[in-house]
Amino acid sequence: MTGLMLKDLLILRKNMRTYLLFIILYGGLAATGVWSPEFVGGFIMVLTAILPMNVFAYDKQAKWDTYGLALPVGRTKTVAARYAVLLLLCLFGVLLECAIGVAMIAMGKLEEPGTYLATCTVCGLIAALTNAVLLPFLYKFGPEQARIALFVLMGFIVLLGVLFLGPLGGAEWLESLGEPTPAQIASIPFIAAIVGVVLLAVSFLLSRHFYGTKDV
Amino acid sequence: MTNCIEIRGLVKEYKPFTLGPIDLTVPGGSILGLIGENGAGKTTLIKSMLGIVKPSGGEVTLLGNHPDHAKEDIGVVMDDCFFSEYLRVRDVNSVLSHVYKDWDKGLFSDYLDKFGLAGAKNIKELSRGMRMKLSLAAALAHRPRLLLLDEATAGLDPVVRDEILDEFLAFVSDDDHAILISSHITSDLEKAADYIAYLHEGKLLMCDEKDRLLESYGRLVCTKADLEQVDRGYIVSTRKSQYSAEALIRHKSDFKRLYPRLAVEPVTLDELMVFVVKGEKA
Repeated sequence: MTGLMLKDLLILRKNMRTYLLFIILYGGLAATGVWSPEFVGGFIMVLTAILPMNVFAYDKQAKWDTYGLALPVGRTKTVAARYAVLLLLCLFGVLLECAIGVAMIAMGKLEEPGTYLATCTVCGLIAALTNAVLLPFLYKFGPEQARIALFVLMGFIVLLGVLFLGPLGGAEWLESLGEPTPAQIASIPFIAAIVGVVLLAVSFLLSRHFYGTKDV
Repeated sequence: MTNCIEIRGLVKEYKPFTLGPIDLTVPGGSILGLIGENGAGKTTLIKSMLGIVKPSGGEVTLLGNHPDHAKEDIGVVMDDCFFSEYLRVRDVNSVLSHVYKDWDKGLFSDYLDKFGLAGAKNIKELSRGMRMKLSLAAALAHRPRLLLLDEATAGLDPVVRDEILDEFLAFVSDDDHAILISSHITSDLEKAADYIAYLHEGKLLMCDEKDRLLESYGRLVCTKADLEQVDRGYIVSTRKSQYSAEALIRHKSDFKRLYPRLAVEPVTLDELMVFVVKGEKA
């Protein structure tokens, strides 16, 4: 399983190098006050959400799945390796955001570290949620159709958000809740982590089922 | 001598195509050459043996075990290089050393040297032939006992193919080892294979020792009138032109005794396939 994880990370090496350059650039812009640090955090999580899909696309290009199933790894561990890579990427993304947050605090650019951390973990949750939904699609239909599914999902989330904040009166409801207490803000990372793990576990079981019955 | 491959009643249905039922045995110390036209089911057979596609029925035993429990001892090369272009050659060594328990990094490097890939860096820069050599090095570096090769010599020049065939012959000098190789380059199989299995439209038409197969079949070249006089029981299929006729005949020695006047030439695997696919059935 570690071999497959290593393979995924090595394939993404070039992508990650490019993305890192962008993050440094955006971090610099955040440090000079052009963008907010939260924007950089969001950007990192968008990248984290995209990377696993790239692996599927590269694997398809190389027809890796056929070879991968000839290796003494097994289908369950093959899927598990991909989810482990996803978790690693999410963790790396959150750590990177924390590092940027610390740098911003040191430069006096971040006034509310708690809110920043909460934003980062919510972004992490969104990345995990996106992949939790996407990976079973990727295993079932492959990267092309799954990409369409991602766009549909994103559109659906935006539509729900607009409906919630507008006609359903969500904006007023959120306003009525008042400012969150520091304790509530502090609990967000833990809740986000638990929700993310549960979603990924359900997603893993679905992916394992799809890949387990698939003819490659 | 134990059997390295035992297949009983293997069936794989891809409507409207059906592979099988296939019964096949490959004893240790031997090479089985799998021939057949495109779409005959060769790749499907290999994939079914490995569980890459789920067989609809039948039983496969590799090295005395269920395929899932034998993969540590199996080397696989398919008709393409499956390593991403985003990897470097040395990455293959790192990745597979974490996949196979018995992976030998030094042996992999030795094969790279042997195949002229020692200086290669990025897989992206390798030609098709070099990629196939990389796949072969990867298939051999964990010291497998069984090699499953699907068009593994395709795209290689004759000199390299010859070297690789020698490698295969050395591999099966151990009675515990065997190779199943599918190939369109039948001259390679005529050189190296001990057994030939001929798949046609998903069915195993012939499976026998190569020498016996080539000895028992022959190519009759004669006039149309002569062909009309021949006992149909000897004829597998025929091909007729305006002035002459050719026929693939079985039981060559008996036939020659019965028809000493008619010229029967040795048949090649290529001719055997062409007769079966394009010839008129007797």
